Amino acid sequence: MSELKKLNVNPCKMCMPIGAAIAFKGIENSMLLMHGSQGCSTYMRRHMSTHYEEPIDIASSSIDEQGTVYGGEDNLKQGLKNLIELYSPGVIGIVTTCLAETIGEDIRRIVADFKQNNELGSLALVTVSTPGYGGSQFEGYYLSLRRIVEQLVEEPAHKTKKINLIAPNISPAEIRELKRILELFKLDYTILPDIAQTLAAPYTADYSKIPAGGTRLRSIKKMGEAAATIELGALVDSSLSAAAYLEDKFAVPVYRLPLPIGLKNSDLLINILAEISGREIPAVLKEERGRLIDTMIDSHKYNGQGRAALFGDPEIVYAVSSLCQENGVKTILMATGSNIATFNNKLREITAANREQSLILNDTDFEEIRNYISEYKINLMLGNSDGAFIEEKDGIPLLRIGFPIHDRVGAARQQNIGYQGTNTLLDRITNQLLALKHDNFRENLYQKYYQPLSKSIAAESFTEQSFQTAELSVGDQ
Amino acid sequence: MKDSKAGIEEILDDVLQSYPAKSMKNRKEHILVKDRNKSELKIKANTRTIPGIITNRGCAYAGCRGVVLGPLKDVVQIVHGPIGCSYYAWGMRRHQGLAAEGGKNFINYTFSTDMQDSDVVFGGERKLKEAIKEAVEIFNPSTIMITATCPVGLIGDDINSIAKQAEEEYGITVMAFNCEGYKGVSQSAGHHIANNEIMDNLVGIKDKELDYKYPINLMGEYNIGGDAFEIERILHKIGYDVVASFSGNGTADQIKYSHEADLNLVQCHRSINYIAEMFEEKYGIPWLKVNFLGVDATIESLRNMAEYFADPELQERTEKVIAEELAQIEAPLNRYKELFTGKTAFLFVGGSRAHHYQNVFKRIGIETVVAGYEFGHRDDYEGREVIPDIEMTADDRNIPELEVTKDDKKYRLRISQAKKEELQQKMPLDYYGGMIKEMEDGSVAIDDLNHHEQIKLTEALKPDIYCSGIKDKYTSHKMGIFSKQLHSYDYSGPYAGFKGHLQFAEDIAAGILNPSWSYITPPWKEKTTLEGSFGGGE
Repeated sequence: MSELKKLNVNPCKMCMPIGAAIAFKGIENSMLLMHGSQGCSTYMRRHMSTHYEEPIDIASSSIDEQGTVYGGEDNLKQGLKNLIELYSPGVIGIVTTCLAETIGEDIRRIVADFKQNNELGSLALVTVSTPGYGGSQFEGYYLSLRRIVEQLVEEPAHKTKKINLIAPNISPAEIRELKRILELFKLDYTILPDIAQTLAAPYTADYSKIPAGGTRLRSIKKMGEAAATIELGALVDSSLSAAAYLEDKFAVPVYRLPLPIGLKNSDLLINILAEISGREIPAVLKEERGRLIDTMIDSHKYNGQGRAALFGDPEIVYAVSSLCQENGVKTILMATGSNIATFNNKLREITAANREQSLILNDTDFEEIRNYISEYKINLMLGNSDGAFIEEKDGIPLLRIGFPIHDRVGAARQQNIGYQGTNTLLDRITNQLLALKHDNFRENLYQKYYQPLSKSIAAESFTEQSFQTAELSVGDQ
Repeated sequence: MKDSKAGIEEILDDVLQSYPAKSMKNRKEHILVKDRNKSELKIKANTRTIPGIITNRGCAYAGCRGVVLGPLKDVVQIVHGPIGCSYYAWGMRRHQGLAAEGGKNFINYTFSTDMQDSDVVFGGERKLKEAIKEAVEIFNPSTIMITATCPVGLIGDDINSIAKQAEEEYGITVMAFNCEGYKGVSQSAGHHIANNEIMDNLVGIKDKELDYKYPINLMGEYNIGGDAFEIERILHKIGYDVVASFSGNGTADQIKYSHEADLNLVQCHRSINYIAEMFEEKYGIPWLKVNFLGVDATIESLRNMAEYFADPELQERTEKVIAEELAQIEAPLNRYKELFTGKTAFLFVGGSRAHHYQNVFKRIGIETVVAGYEFGHRDDYEGREVIPDIEMTADDRNIPELEVTKDDKKYRLRISQAKKEELQQKMPLDYYGGMIKEMEDGSVAIDDLNHHEQIKLTEALKPDIYCSGIKDKYTSHKMGIFSKQLHSYDYSGPYAGFKGHLQFAEDIAAGILNPSWSYITPPWKEKTTLEGSFGGGE
């Protein structure tokens, strides 16, 4: 929050450990244990379950009052033992919470001690320090990926042609789309994390306590051998970057890209894949690109009437802003509750040429967002479902994208990336604007044109303001 | 109970076998099989959760901020702490609230001091003070409640004195709740902390002349999915007036004069029975254990209430309303019963719902084979008679006990001791018998169920319906079992009262009879079909 504001009203962010939870859910045969009060894992399971519509099983060391006084070491060790006995995981992520951090738990030491005193076989333990007051879900997510890489990647014996892809917090369907694209270039890859199946498990007759899929431990170990790392995250600080670690430690070159949402951002990814793979862009992708442009042209009249507010995860806001920009949807307000050093500048760059200056809010809350939404006559919100109360109170439609989506189904099946995903998302945006028009366009026409004519329209009443509103509601003349 | 009855002990042995020895010993005491012939059916409850098993329990903060305080419409709830706790408690429990005319409703809001690293190091008191100031300036509430999250107690922020100062400075009610997440063993500790504070500093701070003939308080009803709306509809129709609700669809303002009621109705015994006791001690208001979940229980509760007030006219009106309401739902309810007879349910919810919903199911032909509480105490399982035998644990002692004494000015004897004793022969006045007494022989009571036990018991007992919350809902779906959330009602409700019971039956039918189930087959029903049939040919 800004220095002046001490009260966060309806947060536009979550805490670090939930970001960690999403990251670890993309590792094959893994379980997660949160070191702290059991409420943390319960709250986060609840939030993730609603979003993904999947079981989200996260253990807790259940520190009690005694543990806060004498330390939670015994709880953590007992928790690990039970977790190993009941789930036989291949990887356990151990992350901290506000409580563990405030009482000064040294999980690295405790876990090292646990490793020494127990026969763990091939079980890998990864520790991440994620105090809830240390950042938002955004930092928790990327930091966990970095710690996974730091603690698991082995010294490479040789180099391979494989590439690493550090995935942002996107949907399982979007991870599947990334894989499809990589496979079209015939690239051998390690995608981290891979929630494609783990957080969107198909129904099978045999339920398994740990869902199938996820990045394999042995693939993670070999990420140092890769020819390149593509990290999807334009705003990721190098201290949080798994790719930066792989570059520093094993000289794996890094390509840092925004999420491939929008034409330009998708082009960036596709061109780099062509470069790395040394292959032509596959015909099917060219076709998809052509279709996207066709849509952009066909829909431009309607899109030009959009006055959008974007909020939520900074990477999604950044990428979707770019999509809006390309299509003439005015990005009036772009906001994140996270505190991201580069957020303002990066968004300023892509919106600099706009006639109407965009409002960019870093480290904000929904109260502030809501105030600007009414002040700036926003007619479309793009963001997670936490903006739903604004939709309900002020009647501004909310197109739900990103994490979390709590009040609609299908979040795990949303596919907004690449040319295809962009096309779908753009259609949703356009249709939302069309719905707005169809809801009131006859009445608006009547009010604004027919009646004034009968009263003989006074030229002076045609102010700048009424011109603007007329344009908004009648646009495609 | 179907074919599984003979083997229930073996099934439970199998469930326990997977644990390391220490954990097995612990969990064994939390599970029992109902057997009428046994003289004692003792279950372990309200003890620490074993680390590393996947429990459904929440924390003290969740019980305080989320459950008890959350539904109060006119309160600005400032969560003092890092952002997560405030965020996660925001609108999560689907408690509904309609603002009174001209009244404020902050139910769509959550407020946080959003503590950062530096606040944990240097203390967050200044930030909290300024946050209160902002809240007053922007929202102008009559009551502010400050809830503590884990770091607050540890870094020594004195939220109580800040609340006191703010109260003086702004001339409004400002309360502080020391409900750090690590306190107690479940959200139950948080209910206790919240309620004690409310009893101590909110109840009775305002007197009000009420022109009510039968003034009552509704306690332990949190208006999930609009349950309290249906309950209040029925009560108003009969002629009762709800003075205050603790806390579904309630306001802090009403609680301030709730000592003016003549009877306290206790719906959820777990979360509020101690407050009901204190009301009697301090103000002379007895409490009646009611249950508005299920038609039969609702009718019984309404008759007990009418008898308590001992007014023939009221009794007559009660019967008239019961008849009217029943006429609207009885026929369809009976049809649902025919449809569902033979089906079984697995309930794991709350500190009272696993009990209350058994009779909801029973009325529509569904038998409960497993029932357990997430945060119940022994008395919720075994009845209030075991309270003197419950051992105090270190965790219990860490929750401050509130002692109340008779308030000489506001105490008013509602009924004589003799009358009370007479009524107690007929109704649960100041009494709750717990869940186990009403369970069928051979059914299982289980406390603090976890993921492993859910799976094992589901596989072994093959229930048709699994009722819990969102955390285990999808596990149930993955196992091919219809699940109905009884925490949030899956965006449906109300399920209470008369209309609610029908709504519930309709929702169960919509779920259980949905054609999508015909495309999957649970492994125990047809072992040969693995992935269901493809192609939609059927």
